Amino acid sequence: MKTSIRIAKKEIKIALREKLVLALSCIILVLLGISLYTGAIAYQQQQEAITKAQKEKREEWLGQGDKHPHIAAHFGTFIFKPKTVLSLFDFGLDTYTGTSVYLEAHYQHQFMFRPAQDHSSMIRFGELSAALVLQILMPLLIIFLAYASFTREKERGTLRLLSSQGITLTSIAWGKIMAYFIILLVILVPFVLGILLLSYLLKTPDTITDLGIRIVLLGAAYMAYIFMFIVLSVLVSLKSSISRNALLTLLTCWILFTIIIPKTVANLGESLYPLPSMKIYKEAILKDKKDGLDGKTPRAVRMAQLEKELLTKYKVDSVQQLPFNFDGVKMQAGEEYGDKVYDVHWGRLLDLFNKQNKLGSYASLLNPYIALRNISMGFSATDLNTSVDFQKKVENYRRVFIKKMNDDMAQNSKYGEFYEYSVGLDMWKSVEDFEYNTPSIYATLKKYTLELTSLFCWTVVLILLLNYITRKTKPTNG
Amino acid sequence: MDKVTKTIIRYEWASFVRNKFQLLLLAIIFLFGMYAIYYGTSVVEEQQKTIADVQIIEEDEFHQYQVSFDEELNSVDAKRKRDIASDPSYAWFRHGYHAVLPPHKYAALAIGQRDLHPYYHRLTGMSLYYQLFENEIANPVKLYVGNFDLSFVLIYLLPLLIIAFTFGLYSIEKESGVLALLRIQSISIRKIIAIRLLFYFMLITGFALLISLIGLLVSGNMFADENLLAALLWLVGVILYSAFWFGLMFLIISFFKSSAFNAICAAGCWLLFLLVIPAILNVWMTTKFPVDTIHLAELTRRTGLENENDEKERAEVLSEFLKYNPQYKGSDSLFHNNEYAKVYAAFTTLKDSHSKKDVDAYSQLISKRNQWVNQFLWINPAVNMQDAFALISKTDLNTFLNYQFALTTFHKKITSFYFEKLFWDKPITQEDYSKRPIFKMKENDQRWNMVLYSFLKIVIITFLFGIMGFKKMKKVTN
Repeated sequence: MKTSIRIAKKEIKIALREKLVLALSCIILVLLGISLYTGAIAYQQQQEAITKAQKEKREEWLGQGDKHPHIAAHFGTFIFKPKTVLSLFDFGLDTYTGTSVYLEAHYQHQFMFRPAQDHSSMIRFGELSAALVLQILMPLLIIFLAYASFTREKERGTLRLLSSQGITLTSIAWGKIMAYFIILLVILVPFVLGILLLSYLLKTPDTITDLGIRIVLLGAAYMAYIFMFIVLSVLVSLKSSISRNALLTLLTCWILFTIIIPKTVANLGESLYPLPSMKIYKEAILKDKKDGLDGKTPRAVRMAQLEKELLTKYKVDSVQQLPFNFDGVKMQAGEEYGDKVYDVHWGRLLDLFNKQNKLGSYASLLNPYIALRNISMGFSATDLNTSVDFQKKVENYRRVFIKKMNDDMAQNSKYGEFYEYSVGLDMWKSVEDFEYNTPSIYATLKKYTLELTSLFCWTVVLILLLNYITRKTKPTNG
Repeated sequence: MDKVTKTIIRYEWASFVRNKFQLLLLAIIFLFGMYAIYYGTSVVEEQQKTIADVQIIEEDEFHQYQVSFDEELNSVDAKRKRDIASDPSYAWFRHGYHAVLPPHKYAALAIGQRDLHPYYHRLTGMSLYYQLFENEIANPVKLYVGNFDLSFVLIYLLPLLIIAFTFGLYSIEKESGVLALLRIQSISIRKIIAIRLLFYFMLITGFALLISLIGLLVSGNMFADENLLAALLWLVGVILYSAFWFGLMFLIISFFKSSAFNAICAAGCWLLFLLVIPAILNVWMTTKFPVDTIHLAELTRRTGLENENDEKERAEVLSEFLKYNPQYKGSDSLFHNNEYAKVYAAFTTLKDSHSKKDVDAYSQLISKRNQWVNQFLWINPAVNMQDAFALISKTDLNTFLNYQFALTTFHKKITSFYFEKLFWDKPITQEDYSKRPIFKMKENDQRWNMVLYSFLKIVIITFLFGIMGFKKMKKVTN
């Protein structure tokens, strides 16, 4: 241990002398700074706009005047996707998921306006976020820092000198790893301070309720990733005969991990599980609403059944004699059937998404970058799961509010009357404003077991491998 | 070609053929290229299938209308069908026309923004903006990761190939001790480097052209009139982009540093051009020109008159409508027959007129911010090339903005076709169906100029790097 610390001290001294390492560290720090700054601005802009718009829509809803509840159900309202405060750290999928949705009776509208649509194809090169810097650039710094850790000693013949003093390869390796880890942690100090300062300054109400634990977990995941990459680099350096080969091997790994594999896997998923087109998807929903999910019970039959059931239940001969407005009940029954149809089709679509993305989760076992990328989005609540959860809650909100309108129509208006009946402010007020909270961190953790396993296994296996190899290998000069 | 040059080339070829690693690298990239072509064509085929489906749906719809003229009116259903086909007060909002932006054959090679923007719309005479903003179904994870198409292989992977082949051109000779032998030859080191670089330039560019040719032949007929220019420009683009990276490598080599330094330097440049610069520009643009789509969401709300039975409100709507559409002024039937349908048609048209300003401002902002960001393409040949490829294959943002514009014109045609009937109380006859509006889109006549301009930028930068490298080398070798 003592020797390891001494070696670590020496490594840090040497690293500080390397201009390249210093320059790259500065670049990474500057990029982290820029990303936090722009992330914070974008977050604030978006948050302000959404809060304002949501307030306006609420006022519109309340101030719509007296009208028939079903007309109000069509007037409907809008919901906008709030940004989570952690999105300033990791944008995740925010650029590619829709931001606004219109809620009205009978139809499940889709989310509109993906921010990426406002960009040229340059957006596909990525957006600068702290997560991007840490996930992609940080490993590169690690590679530059550590690729020559053993090969240089071999090339200069110092490795033999060290081992002639009785120092084991294992303690040399751990000394170096410690040194690099300390250097990176020191580089990250200003960044962490910046984050803390920001979270203090941006004290807006947020959709994330368990922010603290999420930040801690994010920190842990990134530490593991950085640590793992250091061990990997040192390991490759140990196994390589010359620096050039170590560097090339590591750079190849880096490009495979961060650029090629993620893209291939996602594209493969799309090829294996093709998605329907919006038109075909909606057409299928319409058809099932019209002809019934089994294709044999059209709307008219369903309604006749309902009528018969109610007439028997209340022991009357005509709908006029029912103790409520049959039109309202019919409306709600139609709504519920539509919801059922929608759930089937939407469920299928989500299933396809999940299958496509599952491929990525499996690939994460081989690729720690994908593991961290997914975990980071998940913890920052900018992933697909959160987005789907949001959509589900919005759809639920729509259902509750439409049901309220239909129930009122059934209970309080007369059969056959429409324009004659109206309700007002009290009714509108009884529909609560929509509020969103992200799923708890425990629910999120459950969705990412594969990724978490991957990160854990990579770290443990690399450590074991390093210990094994350093014990087996005889120090040579390459 | 003198004898020495020939000898160098012969030896270079011999060492290239013997180097298993390099051959393997070429084979891998070739396979990636083939996969990219396969993937791209499958995406485009899928889109073409959807377009065909959509067109069948439209044909079916209009076929039904047309046959209803020949059917006996002996049932309620038949009468209803005829009404929808011939009565403009139903037809104007029921008849759905599809505007389609078919993919260019070479969209398969550079998918660009095609997976993000909807490429077909069903339009009726109802409010345009109510129908405009729907998204195509897509997995956000896939959108985020991007497409593995040929443009990706060329823009991301080709430079890596160039770097891997050339980073050690000089330094490895030095490191392995061959340099001293070369120095005693009559030929200058500069010339040797130039010849060897040229050799690899021919080899790798030829390789890239081969993959491109396969792509151009597989995805469409290269020699068809509409494809030939696009195909040629694509090939020229490949040569220029390859030349740019060779120019850059020449400059890096001219510093006569170690091969590790060259590799790090080249990897750094690659990272800068393909990740860091575009990532910064993207967030910079987003924060400098924030886009407020939240505001546009309102346009998708289905609204109607406050109270259809209010005669005063109806008159107000109609008279305001006439202000925008004076051509209907002469219709004395305006306020007498079939007023509800007319008022509703007027109402949704007015809604469009009112929101036109907002939508135009939105498209202008998108154009403006992309123009702003385009001025930085000078410093980034990678994004510049991506842009050029997207332009060539019509998958660029401008194409979609043009398409949106064409939709507006098309919608105007549809409304005037039906309003002509509706407001003058004329039925739609069977003959009218042959005069139905057809979607047309104006070609971007600036397209080729824009591509050439992009090329010019790359040529200038390549020359700049070449000259710098040449000078630097002269200084060192003299």
